[in-house]
Amino acid sequence: MARYILGRLLSLLFVVWVVSMITFSLMHAVPGGPFDEDKQPLPPAAKANILRKYGLDKPVWQQYLNYMNNAVRFDFGIPYQQPTTTVAELISHTWKTTAQVGVMTLLLAFTLGITLGVISAYNQNSWIDSAVTFLAMLGVTLPSFVLAILLIFIFAVRLDWLPMRGWGDSACLVGNYFCTDWILPVIAYALAPSAIIARYTRASIVDVIRSDYVRTARAKGLNERMVMVRHVFRNALIPMVTVLGPIIPDLMTGSIFIESTFSIPGLGKFFVTSTFNRDYPMIMAIAFLISLVWGLVYLLTDIAYTWIDPRVRLGGEGG
Amino acid sequence: MNKLVNSQRSRWYSLVVPLLVIFSLLLGACQAPAAPAPAADAPAATEAPAEEAAAPADAMTTIYGTKLPDDAAPYEEQVLHLACDNGSSATTFDFTVAVYNRYCLADLFQDTLIDLDKDFNVVPASAESWEVADDGVTWTFHIKPGLQWSDGTPLTAYDWEATYRYAADPEHAWDFTWFYAGVIKNWDEVVAGEVPVEELGVVAVDDLTLQIITKDLFPPLPGMMKFSFVMQKKAMEEHGPYYNNDPATSVSAGPFMLESFEEGKKIVVVANPNYKGFRQPRLQRLEGIFMSTSTMFAAFQNGEIDEMGYGALSPADFELVLSDPVMSQNYLRHFGDFRTDYLVMDTYTEPFNNLDVRKAFAHAFDREAIIKNVYTEIKALPAYSMLMPGFPSSDVDGKLKEYQNFDCDLAKQHLSDAGFPGGEGFPKLEMWLRGENPTRMAVYQAVAASIAECLSVEIEISNKDRKVYMDALNADPTQIVFGAVDYGMDFLDPVNMLGIWLSTGRHSWKNDEFDNLVIDAGKIVDDPVKRDQMFREAERILVDDVGGIFVAHEWQGDLFQPYVQGDSFREPDSNGVSGQHWGNDWIWGNKYIAKH
Repeated sequence: MARYILGRLLSLLFVVWVVSMITFSLMHAVPGGPFDEDKQPLPPAAKANILRKYGLDKPVWQQYLNYMNNAVRFDFGIPYQQPTTTVAELISHTWKTTAQVGVMTLLLAFTLGITLGVISAYNQNSWIDSAVTFLAMLGVTLPSFVLAILLIFIFAVRLDWLPMRGWGDSACLVGNYFCTDWILPVIAYALAPSAIIARYTRASIVDVIRSDYVRTARAKGLNERMVMVRHVFRNALIPMVTVLGPIIPDLMTGSIFIESTFSIPGLGKFFVTSTFNRDYPMIMAIAFLISLVWGLVYLLTDIAYTWIDPRVRLGGEGG
Repeated sequence: MNKLVNSQRSRWYSLVVPLLVIFSLLLGACQAPAAPAPAADAPAATEAPAEEAAAPADAMTTIYGTKLPDDAAPYEEQVLHLACDNGSSATTFDFTVAVYNRYCLADLFQDTLIDLDKDFNVVPASAESWEVADDGVTWTFHIKPGLQWSDGTPLTAYDWEATYRYAADPEHAWDFTWFYAGVIKNWDEVVAGEVPVEELGVVAVDDLTLQIITKDLFPPLPGMMKFSFVMQKKAMEEHGPYYNNDPATSVSAGPFMLESFEEGKKIVVVANPNYKGFRQPRLQRLEGIFMSTSTMFAAFQNGEIDEMGYGALSPADFELVLSDPVMSQNYLRHFGDFRTDYLVMDTYTEPFNNLDVRKAFAHAFDREAIIKNVYTEIKALPAYSMLMPGFPSSDVDGKLKEYQNFDCDLAKQHLSDAGFPGGEGFPKLEMWLRGENPTRMAVYQAVAASIAECLSVEIEISNKDRKVYMDALNADPTQIVFGAVDYGMDFLDPVNMLGIWLSTGRHSWKNDEFDNLVIDAGKIVDDPVKRDQMFREAERILVDDVGGIFVAHEWQGDLFQPYVQGDSFREPDSNGVSGQHWGNDWIWGNKYIAKH
């Protein structure tokens, strides 16, 4: 197992390196640069000054090598959008907020999704099942930013029950945590993933609940709770983990729509603004972050299989 | 049993140990490397050192000792809440640091040398007077005595000298250097690193005398000084150019000073007790709240912000505003920066190197109908030329309309004369748009559809990334065969708006007569009538030779809560237009909150 994990981590590093090369090449292939010529063209000397200031006057391969030379020391440069800080500081500062949003959303999405999925599967083909299916469809089809605006309009503008923006700026339960301004963005962000989780949970459980071993367990007199927990749920977890695992990095890296609409100062907006502003250091750092997070989550997913199902072996371990 | 326990223990370790390894990697990755010595502290929710503000004599008196209007709320309630776009990319409060990346509530920490009144006349601000020497190139600005920074340091001409040297410094690589290119003596040479900054034609003669030497005769220079935002020389030397990002190091010579700054959350500025300029504010505090443009109108309706710009109002929001009896009275439309939307063509290559083709396109769509039905009259008026009516030397009588008016039969005739009868054989075109918002996209789609229908040609729309578009437009030769763009003034003079059409400008069109007229008119100092005539003739050539096809002149505007008052924007100008006029910074000394 340790050898397998080490191998996966090394291959992840290789993936990150390939991602860095592709990202670096693509971003330099796109026209424009970290300067504006919205009104009139910059005089050649002025443009040359700007390119020199950002190190963009060197050949692309040299820029890449310089960048990677610093990146391996965790020095990702200075963001053009906020030149008074570093990329690492900016990301660690903003990702903290994004991660909080992500964690709360994950908790709500998984709790709600799994609960609804189990209820739906257990009451298959009943009105409860239909209602949950309808809600799931709504969750998947309604864009999060539309739901966000709707929630703001109802609960913040019309009813004035909840704040319409911010994160940790309103009344909180514990310090700056569990605040009223967390409620609307988490609900808006969690609806779609909870709908997906509910659907996959239902499908997975319905599949397992019809199995011979479940029928056998019941026939042997096991009570229903034990049947569901020990046999049904446990076996339904493997396909669920496969499908639902990727939701985690998706939520943990932020949503530009949710953060923008609720004015949450997270990492989400930089995904878009870095590209539009040709903020090359930020683009590269974000590409690193995303590929690392996704790679690590896939690894954790694979490890989780072994815990859920002891029959699963990783990396050719003997059975 | 032991086997079971061992198996469980093994699974436990196989999960926990890798988790510990991975989390420690993540923690290590999150370690920030040693930061470079920052010029200013990183933005954080910090507070300014307590200032000894003058206590108002009573509730209706400002800290400057001036009485509030009779209908005003008490001074402690003179707080204005504004929306800041959380999607914008901002790095500084200072114009000279980065023009296109300024935070909202920027430009309040200094007064420029001149201001513009509601009729766009150049009036004194930090400079109480100015004159040009007999040589026509040496301009002397006399700084008003007694002006100071919020830390008590006098505001002097040396601050402006240092600011302009910083702006031209090639190490700074300012994004706005084009503005003074060819205007200020040695500007181009300093930017190119050919001469030292000390030889720049901006010289502090003494504390209260600033000289600006132009390269050639340039009468519009005083108007250009609307952009003479100054930074404190001392602060730049001690804390670097980002000194205003931190309340602890921020200094202001303007009506407001920075009290607190929470990046992405809120900016708070308060009335500067040491301000001695021309616009002592009635407001005691401004709060800029970061939010998405999509929620600004909801925040306005909720009473969380007191005013908002037209750009954040969607077409649906506009309908609501105009149908509401209160909001419709409080949406104040104004000229803005006299922005004109127009189509551009590469007139050096086919098919637009043929004047008949250009004339065909110019006559092929009905601007009036498109404005009425797509743009709406609250937002624009039809354009048949570059200068919006109200701009100096603009065509207010409609004399230029005939050159680009809607006449489909005439358009078809021109296309036929060009060798494409009924559109036969005419190449398919792609109209490039510059990252346009949905409203402008709809307008250009209507324009393209109208042209296509009238001339039986094929036009596709492609809404490009803004930088991709500008890169293609500014390329030499241009890479845009057919596109749409807009331009708003930088200073109030035809040489600015018409100057972009010079053969050395950003568009692929050349007309020597036009060039000569604009360049020569730009140098005329003492014959305003002749100057005006020359600019009018130049514009006539531009529309007749179809250098560009003009679509709309934009109205800009702001929506106010009814209790936001001040005759600086509530009372109309000499054209009957009210609203917050571009360049009229006196607004910030006049605006107040009425009782409500």
